[in-house]
Amino acid sequence: MKRIKTRAWAALILAAALLFGTGVYVWRFAVNGRYWVGFSANESVYQNGALAVGVVTDRNGVVLADVKDGARVYADGAETRIACLHAVGDAAGNIGTGALSAFSDRLSGYSLFSGASGKGGSVTLSIDAELNRCAWEALSGRSGAVLVSNYETGEVLCMVSSPSYDPNVGFDAEDPAYEGVYLNRALSAVYTPGSVFKLLTIAAAIERVDDLYTRTFFCDGSREVNGHILTCSGVHGSQTIEQALANSCNCAFAELSLELGAKTLEQYADKLGFTRQHSLSGVYTAIGSIYAGEEGSAELAWSGIGQAADVICPAALLRYVSAIAGDGVLREPSLVLGESGGRTRLLSADTAEKIKAMMNYNVVSSYGEWRFPGLTKLCAKTGTAEVGDGTSHAWFAGFLDDPERPYAFVVVIEHGGGGLSAASPVANQVLQKLVEENNK
Amino acid sequence: MEQLVEYLLVGARWALPVLAVWVLARCVWSMLRERYEPEVWAWLEASDGSRAALRHWECILGRSKRCDIPVARDDVQSTHAVFVRSDKGRWTLYDLSGGKTSSGIRTDTGEGMELRDGETVQFGGQTMTFHDLSEAERAAEEERRSVPGTLLSQGGTLLLLSIFQVLLTLELVQVLSGEAQTQTALGFAFLILLEWCCYLLMRAFDRSGYELETVAFFLCSLGLAVSASSTPEDMPKQIVLLVAGVALYLILGLWLRNLRRSKAFRWPIAGTAIVFLILNVALGVRTNGAVNWLDIGPFRLQPSEFVKLAYIYVGATSLDRLYRRRNLFLFIGFSAAIVGALALIGDFGAALIFFVTFLVISFMRSGSFATVFLAVAGAGLAGFLVLTVKPYVAQRFAAWGHVWADPYGAGWQQTRALSAAASGGLTGVGAGQGWLHKVFAADTDMVFCLVSEELGLIVALCAVLAVAALAVFAVRSAARGRSSFYVIAACSAASMLVTQLALNVFGSTDILPFTGVTFPFVSKGGSSLISCWGLLAFLKAADTRQNASFSVKLAARRRAGESGEDEVTSNK
Ligand SMILES: [Zn+2]
Repeated sequence: MKRIKTRAWAALILAAALLFGTGVYVWRFAVNGRYWVGFSANESVYQNGALAVGVVTDRNGVVLADVKDGARVYADGAETRIACLHAVGDAAGNIGTGALSAFSDRLSGYSLFSGASGKGGSVTLSIDAELNRCAWEALSGRSGAVLVSNYETGEVLCMVSSPSYDPNVGFDAEDPAYEGVYLNRALSAVYTPGSVFKLLTIAAAIERVDDLYTRTFFCDGSREVNGHILTCSGVHGSQTIEQALANSCNCAFAELSLELGAKTLEQYADKLGFTRQHSLSGVYTAIGSIYAGEEGSAELAWSGIGQAADVICPAALLRYVSAIAGDGVLREPSLVLGESGGRTRLLSADTAEKIKAMMNYNVVSSYGEWRFPGLTKLCAKTGTAEVGDGTSHAWFAGFLDDPERPYAFVVVIEHGGGGLSAASPVANQVLQKLVEENNK
Repeated sequence: MEQLVEYLLVGARWALPVLAVWVLARCVWSMLRERYEPEVWAWLEASDGSRAALRHWECILGRSKRCDIPVARDDVQSTHAVFVRSDKGRWTLYDLSGGKTSSGIRTDTGEGMELRDGETVQFGGQTMTFHDLSEAERAAEEERRSVPGTLLSQGGTLLLLSIFQVLLTLELVQVLSGEAQTQTALGFAFLILLEWCCYLLMRAFDRSGYELETVAFFLCSLGLAVSASSTPEDMPKQIVLLVAGVALYLILGLWLRNLRRSKAFRWPIAGTAIVFLILNVALGVRTNGAVNWLDIGPFRLQPSEFVKLAYIYVGATSLDRLYRRRNLFLFIGFSAAIVGALALIGDFGAALIFFVTFLVISFMRSGSFATVFLAVAGAGLAGFLVLTVKPYVAQRFAAWGHVWADPYGAGWQQTRALSAAASGGLTGVGAGQGWLHKVFAADTDMVFCLVSEELGLIVALCAVLAVAALAVFAVRSAARGRSSFYVIAACSAASMLVTQLALNVFGSTDILPFTGVTFPFVSKGGSSLISCWGLLAFLKAADTRQNASFSVKLAARRRAGESGEDEVTSNK
């Protein structure tokens, strides 16, 4: 009997396996429960696949999405609904980055303790619906994205993606104007950066090129690299590095790119977050990619000026300009009011200071402060990204170097033309609105 | 009044998990903290005057230290002889050494030699005298042992369980309406009545152990709640099945009291089981890929559930037969026949349960890891064949671990189960207020998540722990087991329950592939419920705590029976 008694432990091994498996389940339950609840077949919080509970408001308490009599209702005013569509999302969950999908766990009122009680929760977004409306108007139907954030707190104040539609009306799926309408271009799209990419190249140059500030960059309108002709936007002659950036001189930046090398550029793109995925309050951004080609090649020269195969996500650029504004330290952007992201150092304080000075010099010497009345200490960079079909994406990114008005912004307009002519007025319009509200 | 009901309902949300934990803790505490004292049945005295106790009804003598009576002599074999005590108190000595025990035991036939008090037997060069316990010694021995229930009142635990059930009923009645409301209330009233009747019956028979039954009734009340929320119209049927289960439990428990009779019926039962399965293969009704139902008149039976009982019964054996190869080969043949039949039927989950139980039984019988590994390797190949032949099984394996990748296809059931379970949180959305019960097979295959949704994770975990506690109880009882028949039966029955539970819980929560087996006592389904009560009887029969189990004869009455010619059965 002694032997049989000992062998009875076999049954205990099974019981131990049962307890172990149960432990695994409980752990998963605790960690993943919030995501399980957000499954659209969960009738505790969804009806016919649409989230049937939860309120979404903007930072001022304007209700952007609510439930009345079991049905989802949106903000009052078609303009507001359209401008906030991508931030709020749609009931059917087609806009995966919208609050109704991305924050379904909070909206379901989920807590580990009481599950999804059925009454639902609420989410207060960091965006300002009025500002979104202003940005939507400024885009005036052109496709693209506008992002404005407070770089001190990380809160995204304005996030608009175009094309958009009124969720109360819907849209004509056959109409090519609505192509990719579910995509939040601010977070989920990548574009050729064009000259805004020079902000990255300049960071590498400041840290790696010893005689950067004493060198003279000569531009006669084009430059031959490895048998290819690289053209410039003008004939800039002899320039300092500040002037080269203000002129957005391709010749000067091709020279720097070739000198820095492909590895360095790719390394900086990674370090500065352009080729990484970022989370804004749990909403993930698209990942950019940089292909800097072989050492000494024309591809490398093009890559350093934001052309060739380079693509970046607008949100990644917002992070970068926020870091420059914050003396090299970035407050990670967030979409939910009061939930500040962590701090990340992207640049040394010295490098950030130098880039900041140059970006301000861009505005003062090249773009013209008269374009941005009242926006003192504006630091910015334009981009006109050739996309191969003869058109260009227009970019304008930067920030106000003003502790009273710590705003960072990125504007991109698809096939919009010149950065200064097309994108900067949109940024100006939104910033003016923001400053005006600030002054109240 | 309205207000009062509302307060009660809010209270019930909290009270249910608290009561469930409390009931379970009391049962576990009582089962595991109660003293399990060794018994002494006879003595062996060596020529030098040293005495060794025979502490079980079956004891092995041999050179090995792992023998019950180790004899450190080179001329004694490692497993030399077995002492076996019958229900009537007669001792028989069987030789396993191949003729090296003197006194003329015929080893080839397997017949033993009857031992009488004071008889002398020679093992190798060692002479030993057998002393049966005298009447006075036996009485003193029993006086010394403590009766369970002294640590915690069993009636108190049952009272707590009843409060749990009343609150559960209250919650359900609030949600249900019309006939379903009445039937649910009546169903639970009947359940409470049944458990108290059983309790009083046990007390009337001077039996004090009631933890196993309390655990089973706890699980059954969850089952009834599941039934009330998914198919309230089946409530009366569910109650009838419950009564049938409890009846089987009592009958099987009483039957197992008599070891000799139990052993004698092993092969007839095996034959019946095989016939059942052959009928199933020939006449089965196809449901979801598996043909595991048999329609007999108005009843729909799942033969594999009853074969489980037969399998435990046949797999258990006493020590005198344990060492005979023929016995083991017959058992292996029987196992192969069952698993083969289940493979033909296409009931992959049941085949897996039998296979794991086979491993436990064969390990307990042989103690050989080599045999077990061989069996695992063989089954691995067979499983591979099944996967290649049965596409729906392969599909379930493919979805395993990736259910969220295909929530509208292969992961349909698991994703819904997980989502509902998470919605319940720790305390549940309330009995009868979930939505998972609308999903196909939620009240059987995904019942763990259904309980988790409606009553909360805490109660669902209590249900899992309750079954795990049964396994621990079986192993603890094994330490003081009388016959290896009871010990093997209890451990393999517990293993079967645990395996079934693990496949159910982990299948629906995507920790294991989804095999679609039932949760013991909780899942809706008559055959399963009845067979679980049957399995519980095997556990009860191994409970040798003093006066604990109705399935073990009372000490005083046993003595009376032994003095007479015939055995006294439970005619009280
Ligand atoms: Zn130039």
